[in-house]
Amino acid sequence: MATTRERIAPEAGNVVDMSWDPITRIVGNLGIYTKIDFRAREVVSCKSTSSIFRGYSVFMRGKDPRDAHFITSRICGICGDNHAVCSMYAQNMAYGVKTPPLGEWIVNLGEAAEYIFDHTIFQDNLVFVDFCEQIVRATNPSVMEKAERAEAPHAHVHGYRTIADIMRAFNPFTGEVYREALVVSRVTREMCCLMEGRHVHPSTIYPGGVGTVATPTLFTDYLTRLMRTMDFVKKAVPMNDDVFDFFYEALPGYEEVGRRRVLLGCWGAFQNPAHVDYDYRNMEHWGNEMFVTPGVVVDGELLTTSLVDINLGIRILLGSSYYEDWVNEQTFVALDPLGNPVDRRHPWNQTTLPRPQRRDLTGGNYSWVMSPRWHDRRTGEHLALDTGGGPLARLWATALAGKVDTPYVKARGGAVEIMLPRTPLMPEAQLTWQIPRWSNALERDRARAYFVAYAAAMALHFVDEGLAELRNGVTKVFEDFEVPEEGIGCGFHEAVRGVLSHHLVIRDRKIANYHPYPPTPWNGSPTDSYGTLGPYEDAVTGQPIFEENGPDEFRGIDVMRAVRSFDPCLPCGVHMYLGNGKVVEQRHSPMLGAHGG
Amino acid sequence: MTIRYGKPDVRQDTPAHTPGIQQGNAPGAYARQRGHRPDGRSRARRSTGINPKGAEPIDPRMPNLSPG
Repeated sequence: MATTRERIAPEAGNVVDMSWDPITRIVGNLGIYTKIDFRAREVVSCKSTSSIFRGYSVFMRGKDPRDAHFITSRICGICGDNHAVCSMYAQNMAYGVKTPPLGEWIVNLGEAAEYIFDHTIFQDNLVFVDFCEQIVRATNPSVMEKAERAEAPHAHVHGYRTIADIMRAFNPFTGEVYREALVVSRVTREMCCLMEGRHVHPSTIYPGGVGTVATPTLFTDYLTRLMRTMDFVKKAVPMNDDVFDFFYEALPGYEEVGRRRVLLGCWGAFQNPAHVDYDYRNMEHWGNEMFVTPGVVVDGELLTTSLVDINLGIRILLGSSYYEDWVNEQTFVALDPLGNPVDRRHPWNQTTLPRPQRRDLTGGNYSWVMSPRWHDRRTGEHLALDTGGGPLARLWATALAGKVDTPYVKARGGAVEIMLPRTPLMPEAQLTWQIPRWSNALERDRARAYFVAYAAAMALHFVDEGLAELRNGVTKVFEDFEVPEEGIGCGFHEAVRGVLSHHLVIRDRKIANYHPYPPTPWNGSPTDSYGTLGPYEDAVTGQPIFEENGPDEFRGIDVMRAVRSFDPCLPCGVHMYLGNGKVVEQRHSPMLGAHGG
Repeated sequence: MTIRYGKPDVRQDTPAHTPGIQQGNAPGAYARQRGHRPDGRSRARRSTGINPKGAEPIDPRMPNLSPG
């Protein structure tokens, strides 16, 4: 990990350069460069940079399209199965094949397990480190004092009498919640393995179906693990509520941390086999039948739930990225299968032309991430949508759309209701997620806990449906297909931390163009050619600082909470650069131990 | 004593995607698999080649569940 840092031109007064690079687990490629005014206690500016080039869109060209899901799974070491599934959706469209219903339930079960696993390990083992007793004592001692006196409203559910008790349970390695979450993440990974063969790169997910042999034992093995997990989930949700409500109370104005305009995108998750046929011409219909409704939410208003609108609105802009523009390159898809024109800046027509260069944070290019935006046809704006870390956008779009109606999850009245039945240690529970007043750090974190419950409740429904198929004697889980000479496909899914789309063009039975768009390019994108800030930059710029430490002891906890609320994959190392040339290196690598990494 | 073997038809390193090589996804693959019925259900032959008729459900109305 590099320790040298580029200097940002110093400014007069109390503005100090503060940088964290790397900030995430994804090969250490995300850096946050800020200027903080310690007199005004505010972040003056923020730049989000990526120092690594992946090149999937370059080396996928010319490969057999049937390999796409195996290759693109390797994009991520934590949500690779989301990529495999999304690629499988895109391939199904290109090949004109539909997975049999039992295969679809198996995929949904695997993905539900992935959501429960990944959200739990991120929330309880990484986000909560920022809210644990050790950190809060170091950054805001007065808040810790208040926490010692604050009774936890849901103590009767989770068993912790005060907020400080909960914070102690969050302490890494020693805290009860921290350790319990590690067990849950293991059990939920087993659930994913049952359905998808392996975690995190599935071995039994294919276009046209799955290779998982559907037996009653498969579903009951999954179900017993799910019921044990629900014990944990029922305690976790009220515990999250208690902690985040306490922060609003203890630090008035904390709603401004990580707050930005409500600009949320959700591409939908969990296909409904009764409706999905992977035909682009019917995509609006089957997209609306998904068990997490796709949608674009702007200023609290649901603009669309149509995957066709969502697809056609995607624009990949440059502006601060190390690439040449592709305006003079070929257009792969001029019209979509419905006859709608497809923009030159749409992923189907994108050609990646990397141009490595020195990072220039003073008005030049500074990131390998491009700037995905969504074109709002009403206003002509290119909106820098974020994913709210995944769950916030998912719950918000689903709640506003009001389309999901299953025995355990219902979206109605602008809220999402989740029913969890009685489990070994806990009575039944009814949870309701209400649309919050803000799109900010605490609400992104809170939504994550609720979405774990959502995924668990949905998994129950999928088990019921899968077993019903099995009881009727149905065992078919895959369908034959032929790779066409030419074709196009797009897959829309939700990676754990938000929107995920794969865009595929086939020529001569080979991949002519392939562009995956995962959530972090949306959230971590740099300033685009129109001057619009990327979501991390936007959320951090102008946010107040509540940390009680001065510049010398500054931990940047409020900035960290803001950026981590987007779930920029798993943060493992934090390098902090203080403007006067002092470099502070701090690591918390819970998975690798004190000497790991 | 040496092991006798025939002349190979293809080179061992021929990629599975070479035209002419049988592919798992090719149309007809499902129908060729033994024990898989066209309606999506299956017979005991799907799970075993040893006396599969003796492993069918005792009542034809019962589903044929895979062992597991």
